[in-house]
Amino acid sequence: MSWFRRHPSATAYILLAPGILYLLVFYLYPTAQMFLVSLWTGSPETGYALTGNFGIYPEALAQYSEHLTRSIFYGGAATIVTFLVGFPLAYFIAFRGGRYKSVLLFLVIAPFFTSFLLRTLSWKIIFADNGLALGPLKDAGLLPDTFRLLATPTAVIAGIAYNFLPFMTLPLYVALEKIPPNLLEAAQDLYADGWQRFRRVTLPLALPGVFAGSLLTFIPAVGDFINAELLGDPRSQMIGNVIQARFLRVSDYPTGAALSFILMAAIIIGVLLYARLVGTEELTGGTT
Amino acid sequence: MTDQGSIDLRAMATDGKAVRALSRRRMLQLAAVTGASAFLAACGTAGTRTPGPSASAGRPSPSGSAPSVGPSATASPSDTESPVPGASTSPSSEPIQQSREPVTGNFRFANWVGYMDKAPGNRFPTLERFTEETGITVEYSNGAVDDNESFYTVDLEGPLGVGEPTGWDIVVLTDWMMQRLIAKGWLEQIDTNGLVNYPANLLDQYRSRPWDPDNTYAAPWQSGMTGLGFDRAKTGDLDSLEALWDPQFAGRMTYLSEMRDTIGLSALRLGFDPAALTQDQYDQAVAEVQRAVDEGLVRQLAGNSYVDVMDLGDAVLAIAWSGDVQGLLVPDQAADQDFVWVLAREGGMIWTDNMGIPKGAQNKAQAEAWIDFYYRPEVAAVVEAWVNYVCPVKGAAEEMLRLDPALAENTFIFPTEEMRARLHEFVSVDLDTAALWEEAFNDAIGL
Repeated sequence: MSWFRRHPSATAYILLAPGILYLLVFYLYPTAQMFLVSLWTGSPETGYALTGNFGIYPEALAQYSEHLTRSIFYGGAATIVTFLVGFPLAYFIAFRGGRYKSVLLFLVIAPFFTSFLLRTLSWKIIFADNGLALGPLKDAGLLPDTFRLLATPTAVIAGIAYNFLPFMTLPLYVALEKIPPNLLEAAQDLYADGWQRFRRVTLPLALPGVFAGSLLTFIPAVGDFINAELLGDPRSQMIGNVIQARFLRVSDYPTGAALSFILMAAIIIGVLLYARLVGTEELTGGTT
Repeated sequence: MTDQGSIDLRAMATDGKAVRALSRRRMLQLAAVTGASAFLAACGTAGTRTPGPSASAGRPSPSGSAPSVGPSATASPSDTESPVPGASTSPSSEPIQQSREPVTGNFRFANWVGYMDKAPGNRFPTLERFTEETGITVEYSNGAVDDNESFYTVDLEGPLGVGEPTGWDIVVLTDWMMQRLIAKGWLEQIDTNGLVNYPANLLDQYRSRPWDPDNTYAAPWQSGMTGLGFDRAKTGDLDSLEALWDPQFAGRMTYLSEMRDTIGLSALRLGFDPAALTQDQYDQAVAEVQRAVDEGLVRQLAGNSYVDVMDLGDAVLAIAWSGDVQGLLVPDQAADQDFVWVLAREGGMIWTDNMGIPKGAQNKAQAEAWIDFYYRPEVAAVVEAWVNYVCPVKGAAEEMLRLDPALAENTFIFPTEEMRARLHEFVSVDLDTAALWEEAFNDAIGL
């Protein structure tokens, strides 16, 4: 016991060891491996050799820039949708939830008890061209017969937003929940009206939640491929679909791996810029 | 992947039509395929070693409800009783199921949807009958194969590439894929020692395939045709491949994700012979597919799951496999749907799917017992009458006609000479060219 007391930093490392080991084995090693794969040349039939073919990066980027920008656009749009839906939801639960708070929070997470895949597949039934949702509207003459939701970019973005909504809502809720009521009272005492109170007190204090929620949504959303595969058409496939097809249909591992790194780099750059713009001191380690 | 019994999609929607539209089986088939891909894409180059068949169909049926197919049920015990002289001199070989000690246990069977006769309650009568006769249970995965290329990369390439068993004992794949597996040495030889029906009952036209001349690796399962599948109530009568490029059906058509089917039809439409396709003709055929995609004509490119999209009514016209329409779509169709399959006047594709035993399969003897069982004419006849494809088993035609004389008129099972003249195989190209073509096809379809 006393040894640990005399070596506080050793204690920290011992506590960190499982996490570090985990990252080494399941993140750094595969990432390094994948990086080497991206530098292979060859074909599945003739075998591959590590040739240090860095030229594959500009090639892959040029060939699939359209998919990349599309993915960033879809991911960004979905993040905005989740924010627009998630913020009022989190606000309501945090400030008006009362004794139903935990029930409401449970309801936000409830869809997660069903497989991601099945929930997305069920959209295919619900939003079929003449299905539960669109059929009656078309029968009533509110929509033209040729209207469709599935196999469109709208469906892909909506599907992503639907699937990632809790990732936005929960951090927002945590941030809003933390706001001390006396700060709001103080604002009121200083003659702030409702809107000013929201804009000058609530929103700034919720920013860490906005930041965390949008990152948690945006990063996986850009790489998502299930929604595009199930709800999109051939023209709305995302970079994740291309990576999947490169690995699983064409067995072109180098291009698949290179695209994975390009995607990673694009996301990291985007996130750093975002952190510069919106990031709060609380998140970057400063003191409030 | 999920157990087929554990999810009730009926709970997802109350409207009868919507529920019927995407039946449980097909939904799960789709789920299984995408699920496997999702998992793999997440973890990189490795393949799944345990594919986890989603249905265990071959349970012994205690109710004794297996279908009776005439007097033939008594034929099987004799199979297991005839000893093979001299077989015992090869000590290293595995026990041969038919002749010496009959094996029990189970085997795992990866197949496409609509490829096995099915009874209400998700039961597969022929598999049940096999289990009753042999005591071997079948872990049957209905829809484990959605298209050849995906099954190859997801289920086979990873484990076989490092010499591990795949977890499957029988896989059903198309000729060109079997050819690739044979070339890679990834299939077990079917040990016909002591088998009574295979290859004895194999029709002669399957005996001279250059890539498997002695039928040691690939036991034909079904042959079938690729043509136009459509909902006549919505499209009217169609008989030309032009329909697949008709803007009238924009966004309501599906093409197959099998390059050879989709490009084959595209080539036929342009007047090329798919069996002798040149690089230049291939490029033109791909360009036409690309145009259809770019102009938004194609709603989706899918493997066998195209039947779901049609069933829901989201697609009214598809590049379709002959038996699917009759076997999967017609029995399920709504009052306002009228599904038909037509061999286009420009022609169509013909192909054969085969049973193969992946290298290192752990239940090889059981798999061989199954192959022999299927090659019994009256067994094949029952499967055939349900799946509506062309049967490779000698004597099955006669059995089928005995079962139901009306089947003689069924051109899915018995294509006419006139139809046969319009059917083409896809050109066999070397593996590198095939890879390039596959890549060009993927580019064209937005991937």
